[in-house]
Amino acid sequence: MILFLDIFTTVATLFVVTAGLMMIFGVMKIVNFAHGALLTIGGYTSYVVTQLKLDPWVSWPLALLSGAAIGMLVELSIVRPLYKRPLDAILATWGLSIVIGQLIVMTFGREVQFVDAPFSGTWPIFGVEYSAYRLMLLPAALAICLALTGLLNGTRFGVKTRAVIMNEDLARGIGINSGRIRFITFSLGTGLGSMAGALITPLSSVDPNMGLNWLVSAFMLVMVSGHSMASLLLTCLVFGTVQVLISTFLSPVLGGLAIAVLAALTLRIRPKGFGNG
Amino acid sequence: MKKFNPFTKKLALTAACGLALQVYAAEPIKIGVAVGLSGANSTVAPAVVQSSQLAVDEINAAGGILGRKVQLDIVDDASGAVGAQKAFDTLVFQKKVDAVISMETSAARNAALPIISRGKVPYIYTSFYEGRSCNQYMYVNAWVPEQQVAPVVDYFSKAKNAKNFFLVGNDYAFGRGMLDFTKKYIESKGGKVVGEEYLPIDGSDWTSIVSKIRSVKPDALISATAGGAPNVSLAKQLKGSGLGIPYGNLAIDEGTAKTMGDVATGMYLSASYLGNIDTVENNKFKAAMAAKFGGELKTPNELSVPQYEAVYLYKAAVEKAGTTDSAKVIPALGVVSFNGPRGVVQMNKSRHTPLSMRLGEVQADGTIKILETFTKVDPGNQCPNLK
Repeated sequence: MILFLDIFTTVATLFVVTAGLMMIFGVMKIVNFAHGALLTIGGYTSYVVTQLKLDPWVSWPLALLSGAAIGMLVELSIVRPLYKRPLDAILATWGLSIVIGQLIVMTFGREVQFVDAPFSGTWPIFGVEYSAYRLMLLPAALAICLALTGLLNGTRFGVKTRAVIMNEDLARGIGINSGRIRFITFSLGTGLGSMAGALITPLSSVDPNMGLNWLVSAFMLVMVSGHSMASLLLTCLVFGTVQVLISTFLSPVLGGLAIAVLAALTLRIRPKGFGNG
Repeated sequence: MKKFNPFTKKLALTAACGLALQVYAAEPIKIGVAVGLSGANSTVAPAVVQSSQLAVDEINAAGGILGRKVQLDIVDDASGAVGAQKAFDTLVFQKKVDAVISMETSAARNAALPIISRGKVPYIYTSFYEGRSCNQYMYVNAWVPEQQVAPVVDYFSKAKNAKNFFLVGNDYAFGRGMLDFTKKYIESKGGKVVGEEYLPIDGSDWTSIVSKIRSVKPDALISATAGGAPNVSLAKQLKGSGLGIPYGNLAIDEGTAKTMGDVATGMYLSASYLGNIDTVENNKFKAAMAAKFGGELKTPNELSVPQYEAVYLYKAAVEKAGTTDSAKVIPALGVVSFNGPRGVVQMNKSRHTPLSMRLGEVQADGTIKILETFTKVDPGNQCPNLK
């Protein structure tokens, strides 16, 4: 039973961390390498909330907003001028992550910071006591998935975004302002990345490098999944399950390799990954 | 172009004076400090730098070593092997330091030793570690497992009736070395090790290990992770899962325990230095640190205080040898002693030093209550092949 809970909560964590990266990759076809830095920003937002003695729950919306604000600045100043050069944009986001990391060190110092968690303790579920916070990530991940799917499939904005995803030039041809779509989705993606950082804070330590560990896994997951939230969820489910199984039954060191190796194998066998193209 | 105009003359005169002054002023003694300003040790590095600075400032104020000023050269080793290689190349071959005194991860130390041997520079390693690292240029003034593990295991066996132990660590020299020794010690005392799990050195997802601990139900847990982030994430995830067994952390320091807030409450540790050691030397040391750094002070801890003592040990060795020449300083380092915040330190037992170890328990307010003190614990025969 604990194994199932481990698997599902790990899948939920992976999804939460990767959703923001997915939004940006799907629409703009660039991998935002500053995603790790955004996770760290989310963690430090929680730290600021603790320092200001506010309710820890405030950290989630606050992280979303600060991530989005940073995303807007970045899109206008760094990503938009490099619109025609996606490979250069990727490099620019990597440079951005280094800058953000150092800004955090200059502002907060290098040490691990202490952050209040919204709640702690365990809940009894199916006869075992399990970490309450980990369990809470399950509905959080589902809520994010549903919200994003609803946004993409049920709103005008979603229709326009899907048009841009499918064929940007054609979308602009029929009058969709693709620049504005890119702006909004980038900001949404960075906001989600930052919120994910705030969400995982009670499980990891808040220090300037906290986001880096997740970046590689998130990158692999995004490469393999298609362009929809549902396919991302499926990818997280499969890869997360394998990772937890290997960690539990073989060794955690091999478990850490699982996602990278699986990604390589999957793309070799099926270059479209888990998506529909 | 006018030759020898008044300006050029003045310039030449100033340059000549400068050169003359160089000849008269003595060369400073350079101590290289390689420390993890980035990477796993970045959380404790600032305290290490402060300790080093205080020692050097105090020594310079008292006239330096053999009348020469002491200069610190601080370099980042990124807490790992690659960074250490660059850092030591810089210190030994570029800056040509007279000695290296550093607190580093075992991975960094192991990468640095070949460079130390090539450069023939005295090296005082000031971090606690897994033991048995030997090099003809190296001395160690921090604890080894023979000194640190026994208090924790003995306390758990006696006071907590623990028979089954679970061991958790990071997969590198320190984690493996510490837990190897811990396992042997536990088994030699009649206990049993029911589980042993490792994560890579920068891993922070302990989920499957926590679940394994829960399913095995040991009487006590002992961990040897890398300092900083892995310590914190493991403690958070253990607490989050509701595990209530006694938990001994072989790699925690007071500063990190404080930042963990209530997550660290109840953790047991064994250390050669704790902030509330009540001796004249420690009180003097703490006052000097507070006076020098004020609001910027990083709490002195197990990883930073040996650095302070090591600088003084080096001073004593150079004064005894009468020179900074490695061939004379190295034997002197094995003889001199210094009475510092941790008590008397003398690296005369196989390049290591006997230490007083304190068994402590983290309290709810972040302070550490000293449960027992073990004096002059012997490090054992760490380097049987070295003089």
